[in-house]
Order: sequence, then C-alpha cells, then structure tokens
Amino acid sequence: MAVRERVERLVAELPREAQFPTHGATLFIDLERCEVRRAYTPLGVIRAFLAGRGANMFYLYRLLDETLGPLHPDVPLIFGSGVLTGIVPSAARGNATSWSPESGVIMDCNAGDYFPSFMKMNGIDHLVLYGRAATWTMLRVKEGRVDFLDAGRYAGLDNIDLRDRVAADFGGMWTRDLAMANITRAGENQVLTSAIMAGPKACYARGGPGAKMGSLHLKAIVIQGQTHDFDTAQPYKAYNRAIAQQLLDTSVVKHALRTMGTPFLYKPSRLLGAMGTRNNQQTTWTDRLDADHITPYRPGMAGCFRCPVNCRPLNRLNDNPMDKYGAGDGPEYVTLGKFGPNLGIDRVEAVIRLNNICNDLGLDTASTGSAVAWAMELYQRGIITRHDTAGVDLAWGDADQIERLLFMMSGREGFGNVLADSTRAVERGHYPPEALRYRMAVKGLMQSDPHDARILKAFALGLAVATRGMDHLRNRVTLEINARINDDAAFKERLYGGPVSAAPTSYVDKERAVRVCENLYAVGDSVGMCRFTTKLFNSPSLPGLEQFSTQIAKVTGLAFDEGNLDRVGLNIMGLERMINARLGVGREHDTLPDRWFEEPITVGAYKGEHIDRAEFGAMLSRFYRISSLTDDGVPIDTWRRELEAIIAGAGGA
Amino acid sequence: MITVRLPSALRSGPSDTLTVSERVSSIAELVDILELRIPGLRVQLDDSVFNFAVNDELLLHHVAEHSLNDGDIVEIVPTISGG
Repeated sequence: MAVRERVERLVAELPREAQFPTHGATLFIDLERCEVRRAYTPLGVIRAFLAGRGANMFYLYRLLDETLGPLHPDVPLIFGSGVLTGIVPSAARGNATSWSPESGVIMDCNAGDYFPSFMKMNGIDHLVLYGRAATWTMLRVKEGRVDFLDAGRYAGLDNIDLRDRVAADFGGMWTRDLAMANITRAGENQVLTSAIMAGPKACYARGGPGAKMGSLHLKAIVIQGQTHDFDTAQPYKAYNRAIAQQLLDTSVVKHALRTMGTPFLYKPSRLLGAMGTRNNQQTTWTDRLDADHITPYRPGMAGCFRCPVNCRPLNRLNDNPMDKYGAGDGPEYVTLGKFGPNLGIDRVEAVIRLNNICNDLGLDTASTGSAVAWAMELYQRGIITRHDTAGVDLAWGDADQIERLLFMMSGREGFGNVLADSTRAVERGHYPPEALRYRMAVKGLMQSDPHDARILKAFALGLAVATRGMDHLRNRVTLEINARINDDAAFKERLYGGPVSAAPTSYVDKERAVRVCENLYAVGDSVGMCRFTTKLFNSPSLPGLEQFSTQIAKVTGLAFDEGNLDRVGLNIMGLERMINARLGVGREHDTLPDRWFEEPITVGAYKGEHIDRAEFGAMLSRFYRISSLTDDGVPIDTWRRELEAIIAGAGGA
Repeated sequence: MITVRLPSALRSGPSDTLTVSERVSSIAELVDILELRIPGLRVQLDDSVFNFAVNDELLLHHVAEHSLNDGDIVEIVPTISGG
C-alpha cells in the first residue's frame, strides 16, 4: 500500500477537532502534490503515548512500509512537539522521527531552540511529510496555514548564509517572530551524518535526518508568528513559576549549566579515565580541554524558547568579521569530546573552530566525529591506506586536515564521500569487513557521547538497549557518576524504586535504574522537556513525573498520575521496539562494540575494567524481564496486543 | 600536608587552593577540617553535583572513608551530564 493510501486510511480514523485545550493539529503534507490534510491525534493515543516523540512513533508505526528504504519518499519524516512544548519553562523541545538512513533502525532525534515551540504556537503538534517535491521546496507556516514556496534560490546554502538570507527575505527576527528547521548542503547531498538545523547550533542530529529531509527535496520549514499565551484548562502560570524556581534553585543549574554549560563534564570523565580517546583506543586525554580553558572564548550564554536556564555557551575566537568560523554557538560536551580526544586534538581553539564549522555545515558532531575517528584508526592499523583515502593522510590530531575533510564530507567529494556514509562504509564497499571490529556503534548508530562505558555498567547497558542506537540521551543513569548518591543506599533506592548497587562497576540491579531512566526520558521527550533539566539526568531535584503530571492537568485537563506517566514511558519504548522488530532488530542488536568486551581499560583507578559477556548477557535478560520484553527484546504478547489495539483503533477515545 | 582545590562555586576567597597541614587520614576527616576553615562547606558538599578526586582519580563511592596520605592532592569536581 502506498503512503497516500495509508495516510488516507489513517486520516479517516482521526478526530477532526482538538480534543483538549492546547491540542495542536497533525498536518499531513504531501510534498509531491502540494496537498495538506489536517487532523488530530486521538485521545486514546495521547493517553498511551502523549505527543512529541510518543505520538510520532504512533504515526510512524501506522505509515511505515518496511519493504521500502529509509530514503524512499513514501517513508514519512515526522516532526512532533511535546504536550507542554512552548508552554512550560525549559520545555522547548520536539522530535523528528523516521526510518534512519544512517543506522537502519528508527530515527528519532530531539531539538530545542525555537522551532518546536513555534510549531505549537501555530496550533500544530505534528508535521507528517512525505512525497518528493519536484524541485527544492520551502514550507512556510503562518497562522497555522502552510504555503509551498520554491526554494531554488536557497539550494546550496549552508546554515549561516541560509539563516541570514531567510531572515532578510521574510523580514523577521529569529527568537521573536521567526523559526526554521532546515537542511544544508550535507542534507541535500544525503550525507548520512547530516542534521536538520533548528537554530545556529540546535539541531535534530541523530541518524541522518538531514539526508531524509533532503530526499524529499525539502530545504526548510519556516514558521512565522508572534509568541502568545495559551488558553489552557486551568490557570498554569503560577505552577510554571514554581517549576522555573525549581530549575534555578537546583545546584547543578546554578553551579554548572548556567555558568559554563555541558563542557563541565569533560573533566570528570577525564579524571575517571573514561574519556573516549582516539576512537576509544585509550580513555584519558589532556587537561587542556577542561571547561576552564574554554572560558576565555566564551562571551556569554544563550538559551531556548522561554527557558530560564540558558545553558548554551557562545564562543568567540577572534574579532575578524571575515572569519566565518571565528564565532558561534557551543561547543557542547559531546562536540568537545568527539572533536578533541576522539580525534587526538588537544587545542581548545581547534575544537571550537571545528564545532563552528559543523554547525554551519549541518553535521551531527557525534556521528561525524566518530566516522572520522573510525577512519583514522583504520588508517593507523593499515586497514585502509592512502590509496583508499585518495591521498589524504589521516593523522591523529591534524585539525587542518579534519577541517578539509568536513567540507569534503558535506559535498561528498573524494574521501569525504566515504566518511559521508558513516557506519555504512563497509556495507557500501568502502572498507573491508574487518573494519567493523573498530566501529564504535550499536544498531548502526555511532556512539552519541565520548564517555567510555567500560567502567560504569549501567551506562553500558543503556547504550546497548537504546532504541535508536548507541545513544546516552535515551536512558543514561547519569547519577551513577555521583558519589554522594552512590554512598546513600536508601536515597538511591528511592530514586530508582528498588536497590541498585553502589559500586559503579557492578552489574547488580543496574537494569532497574536504566528502566526508570528510560521511562522518564521518553515521557520528557513527549512533553517537550529538555533532558538537561529533567530529573535523574543531571540531578535528583529537577522536575520529573510529578511536575509533568501536575502541569499536563492544568494545561490540557487530562489526568495522568505518576504511575500513568511511567507506563507511558514504557509504552513508547515498547512501540519503538515493535517498529525496530519490523526493521529486523532483535536481541543480538542490543549489544556493545567488541572493543568494550575484549579490551580492558589500561589507566586509572579502574584499570582492567571491561564488559564481561556473560554478566552483560545476564543483565540484559533481567532488563528484558522487568521491561515486559520477550527474550528477543520485543513486548510480550499480551502487551503487544494492547499496544496494537490502541494503534489500530486510533479513532477510539 | 594535603592540597585541596576548590571549584569557583565553593571558594571563600580569591584562591582556588587550600593547604591542610593537620593530620587527616580520610576524606571525612578532611571535610571536618575544611568546615572549620569555611563554615557551611559541609552542607554545600552534601550535594550530588560535587565529587572528590584524589591525585587525579575520581571517586565514585565509599568517599568518606577513602584514605588520604601526606602529599595527596584532593580536588572537588562539579559533575554534570551533557549532550
């Protein structure tokens, strides 16, 4: 069945009117025919999966034809904003979902800045995009209406120039009345590490969303509109103020996020001996990349829509107006790690410049840095040679060479074409099969962060079971790195609903903590809350299910208690696993790179640590049991039938 | 003598370094001494954002009883998560 028939059948089942205050529409946009259909997510689906990431999965499940390929125009690209996006402080996030061209499993990535909130303010919860436009196209959304515009004059522009041109052409101002999600040349060229940019730095990054959007010939979605208050079920601003105060009173926000942002994490990872270095061949690197050394280049901080935290560091390397990359946004911790130790670079100025280039070229720094590091290790080992790299010397730490490679990737030129295929380089015949042994990826997705998880077993399990591939933002039990919590067994037990070993290297009960985090983060993504300010990710004191439940009730009038919401988180994971199963994912894919099983850490207090296969297998089985998953990692029959009934009976309330 | 490095959030003066010449054998005893120098520090340290590192090795548990030796360098390291 073609996607238009699937959409037709689905839309016929969906409500035509909003089901609760602030309920935004779902727009089904046929880019080939320039047609728009409008409907609303059914209440039954909202109750089971909320909006944002959760309902995105409902739409993907209903519309996916797994006999096609990820870049086929009948495979939809779905944007979703959370139930509380744009309404609650620090809830400025939304997700983009599809079948990943990079990994081959679900693509689901999350971004903030202003675009998701502007969707919500235009009365839109989801955009379902399909069909390939005849020529490069821009969608303009204004007062809820969609116009199809010719984007020919914007084709070939990267992020900085495109944002300048669009702001001038539309007469608006970013952060005031204009927001955009766009691709760059990398997306146009279907680079598998290309992002959909949602701001100067913010992006839907993981799994190749830029390539997916490029495959539809969609250059950008521009949203115009004034910010405004929402008509809600009950007054909600007083509780918003309480949430904002809770954010600002939290120690980690006061002492780290608001002052330096996420680069703070580099130092603890380095001191732990867990800093992925040279494609994780080593695990420690120089102190010259500690956050303190970025301070001279940080003129200030910025933030997302109505977020009081402002955790995004700005950078200025020089005052030369001719240097396009002399200033920008970031870097975040991931970029610092992936373009510092992971590539053997020890100069903070070089990392900042490469960060600014990636933001302009629209490249996911996690996958891009990992793809380059993988190639460098293969070169170091002689698995590939200058003959394979078209003469490029892939030496560790050569920032100038890496800069050239980024531009080559963006244009798929020379060896850049190999790097642009990311984890698929073996499958596409660029590297020999033995290269896979050194690929730091799970389920076809390069590791999101630079933390080497051979020490902290809860981190390792999380990376193995994350539904979108090797990514810490789906379920990381980050508080395992906090001694204050590890040394208070009773407190830790309350946090995770049962005992969890205090020893970071232990496998005992770590599955419980991963389960709790995975549920909470899935709910966070579906209400639109930033991960950095969600309970358990950075602090036990940040807003969590209790605050989400209270504010969902005030805003929408829908009643969810904390137990309901925890179940929603589990449902989302279950549905994602059902989609992945259709794409061929099973237990064997919930694993880790060989290196972590076979090569112990060689430095520091945790020298000798690695992942024991038998212990890991047992922990994975326990994780499946407490997650109501079969031995193959999919929902048990009774639960699967419940989820299928909700999905199939979309029209029911 | 133990050298203690404090993050900016915990400094009471311009310097980020304190030296403790009293005999201390564990982190718990060190915190007792620091509390005398910086009243209220113990309460501030009762916070999951702060970790201890001894001689450039981060401690993840059993911190209070971690033994210290003369010449050790103890650093209090704010720890967050990122993306």
